[in-house]
Amino acid sequence: MTPFAHHEGRRTFLRRLAWGASGALLTPALLQACGRGPGGGGEGADREGGDKEGADKEGGELVISSFPLYIDPSRPGAPGSVERFQRDTGIRLRYGEDVNDVRQFFARIRPALAAGQTLPQDLVVLTAWMATRLIELGWVEPLPFERIPNARNLIASLRKPSWDPEQRFSLPWQSGIAGIAYNIKATGRELRSIDDLFDPALKGRVSALLEMRDTMGLLMLADGKDVSRPSWSDAQPSFDRLERARRDGQIRRFTGNDYQTDLLAGNLAACIGWSGDVAQLALEQPDLRFVVPESGGILWADVMLMPRGARHPNAAARWMNWVYDPPQAARIAAAVQYISPVEGVREILAKDPATAALASNPLMFPGPAEQRRLHLFGPLSEADEARWDERFARISQG
Amino acid sequence: MSVLPASARVEPPVTPTSPQRDRRHGGRSQRPSSHGPRSHGPRWPWLLLAPGLLWLLVLYLLPLLSLVPLSLSEPVSRFGLETVFRGRLANYQEVLQAYGPILLRSFAYAALATGLGVVLAYPLAWTIRFRGGRWQPLLMGLVVLPSLTSFLVRAIAWTSLLADQGPLLQLLRSLGLIAPLEALGVLHDGRLLNTATAVILGLTTNLLPFLVLPLVVAMQRIDPVLLEAADDLHAGALRRFTQVVWPLSRPGLAAGILLSLIPAAGDVVNPRFLGGPNNQMIANSIDNLLLVQLQAPRAAALTLVLMALISVAVLLQLRRGLEELPLP
Repeated sequence: MTPFAHHEGRRTFLRRLAWGASGALLTPALLQACGRGPGGGGEGADREGGDKEGADKEGGELVISSFPLYIDPSRPGAPGSVERFQRDTGIRLRYGEDVNDVRQFFARIRPALAAGQTLPQDLVVLTAWMATRLIELGWVEPLPFERIPNARNLIASLRKPSWDPEQRFSLPWQSGIAGIAYNIKATGRELRSIDDLFDPALKGRVSALLEMRDTMGLLMLADGKDVSRPSWSDAQPSFDRLERARRDGQIRRFTGNDYQTDLLAGNLAACIGWSGDVAQLALEQPDLRFVVPESGGILWADVMLMPRGARHPNAAARWMNWVYDPPQAARIAAAVQYISPVEGVREILAKDPATAALASNPLMFPGPAEQRRLHLFGPLSEADEARWDERFARISQG
Repeated sequence: MSVLPASARVEPPVTPTSPQRDRRHGGRSQRPSSHGPRSHGPRWPWLLLAPGLLWLLVLYLLPLLSLVPLSLSEPVSRFGLETVFRGRLANYQEVLQAYGPILLRSFAYAALATGLGVVLAYPLAWTIRFRGGRWQPLLMGLVVLPSLTSFLVRAIAWTSLLADQGPLLQLLRSLGLIAPLEALGVLHDGRLLNTATAVILGLTTNLLPFLVLPLVVAMQRIDPVLLEAADDLHAGALRRFTQVVWPLSRPGLAAGILLSLIPAAGDVVNPRFLGGPNNQMIANSIDNLLLVQLQAPRAAALTLVLMALISVAVLLQLRRGLEELPLP
C-alpha cells in the first residue's frame, strides 16, 4: 500500500465528536479533567528522554496538540510522519489529536496561561484567528526561525499573513478553502454563488458553518465587502441576511464538521463547507461538488504555535523544520488533502502515479486565477470580536 | 344501641393505598404517630446523612453560591480569567432580554416532552403492573435498557431515524400522513430532523424511564381488588382509570414529573443534534456564553435564572405533592 493512501480528513469526525463532547462537558474544568491528550501526563512525565538537541532546558519528549486525523498515520509497512520523525531525529514525540474545537481548546488552556503557568505542549496547531488572539495576549513564544531553515519553503501566499504580520510566532500547518458544497442530484443544478444558498427551492436543506469567519466571510464577499479588513458596519447586511434566513427556516443548521453526515445522508442539498472534506467525501458520494463562489472563497489556515514557556523549543524547531521538508510535507498533504503550505509538494505528488491526480486538484493547489478569488478573513479587534461573536451566536443559536 | 343491621356497621375496608390514609400518614406507613418524625429518638441516624450532605455542600452548594457574585461581576479583560465584582444587576437584565424567549422555549419543550411522556408512560406502567405477571421485572428492565446507552449515542441514533430519507419519514410518506402532520405542525417542510418535534421526541425518550418507573412503583400499591370492585360497580375502563388508577398513582406521577422536567429543561444534547437554530434550548445558550463568547458573568447569571425557575417549579410541585411522593 502506498504511504500516500487516502484516509479521513482532519475535520472529518472530530467535530462530530466535539459537538457531542461539548454537550456533555459544559465547563472548561470538566474538559480539562477529561482531556486524554498530551496534557494528561503532566510535568513529570518522561524526563529522561532522548532530546538529541541537548539545548532544551529539560529532557523528555516533544509534546504537540493538533486536530484529529490531520497527519498521515502509520500503516503496516508505511510508517507515518510521527514515527518517521522519531526515527530520523531520535527525538521522542507525543503527538496528541486533542484539539477538537478551537474555542473549546482555548477554554481549556486559558486558565493555565492566564495564570502565568506553562502548558505541557511545546507546539499547538490552531486556526489562524486564534493565533492572532494568542499572539496579542502574549501567550505564545516567537518561533526560533534560525533553527527552521526549511521555513523558506513556505508558499508565497501564506508569508507574513494578517494574523502574524511579521511572521514571528506562527508557521502554517495546512490551509484550505471555505466555499459551497452541494449534491448535484439534490439541487438539480450547479450552484455558483452564495445567492444560490438562499434559493427558496432549497429551503430547509442548507447549512452554514459555526466557524463565524468562514460563514460571514463568504456572505460579506457576496455583498461585495472587503473581508481582509472586516468592519462591523460592513457586516451588518450579511448578519441581517443570515438572521432572516435562519428565522425563515432557509438554514437548517449551523454546523461544525457534521455537515458531512448530513450531506451524505441527504438531509442537506447544499452547505458552506471546507475543500479537503468535500474532496474526500466525493470519493464516497460522486454527486458531491465543491465550488468557490463567484464572489470569492475564504482561505483559512491552521498554524503551529509555541505556547509561552514551552520546554522543548529546539525539538519543536526540529519538528517544524522536518515537516517543512517537501517530501515529508507531500506525505502529509496526500493524506489530508488540504492546501500544503510547503513549496515543492505538488511536484513530488505529480511524480508518483498513486498521487498524480492530487497534483492537478485546484482545491489543493489553487492556481493564480483561483488564488485571486480566495480571501483571508482579516483580524478583528478585541472589542469587535466580542460583538461579532455575540451577534453570530444569537443568530446561530436562535 | 344501634338499630342498623350488622352489615351496615362494618367499617369500610381500609387498604394501605387508600388516598385518605396516604394523605394522613404521608403515604409512608401505618406507624403510630408517636413514632413519627416528631419523636425524640436517637440523633445518630442524622450522622448517616453527613457524607451526603457534605458532598452536596462542597461540590454543589458552594460552587453554586460562588456563581452569585460572579453573576454580578464584569470580566476585567475579554480573555483573562479575572472578574471584578460590581454588583452588576444589568447582567441579569441583559440575559433575560436576550435569552428570555429561549428560556420560555426550553420550558415549553420540557413541558411538552413531559406531557407526551406521561401519555406514553401511563399505559406502559399500567401494562407492566397489571398485565406484566411474571414478566414484570423483564419489562421494567426493557424500559430502563435504553438508559444504559449514552444519551449522546441515543441522540445520534435519532438523527438516522428522523433523517429526510430515514425510515420514519418513509413510513409516514407511504401512509400518506405527511400533509396532515404538516398541517398539525408536527412536520416542517416535510421534515422531522432539526425541528421542534425532533427535540421534543428526543427529550421524551430520555425521560420516559423516569416517568414509567415511579408510576409502576405507585401502581404496585394499587390493590387489584379495587379495580375489580370498580368493575363490579359497572365502571368502564375510563372511569376505572379516572376514579381509581389516576388518584392512586398520582404520587408516582408527581415524582416522575419532577424527575423528568428538571433534566429536560436543562438539556443540551437533544437540541444540538436534533434541533435547528430555531430550536436551541437555554443550556446551549449558557454553553455558548461561557465557551464561545467568554462571558462567564452572564453565563452565571443565566444559569442562576434557570436554576431559580427550576427551583420555583420544584417547590410548587413539592408543595402540591410532597406527601404524595412514594417514599419507602
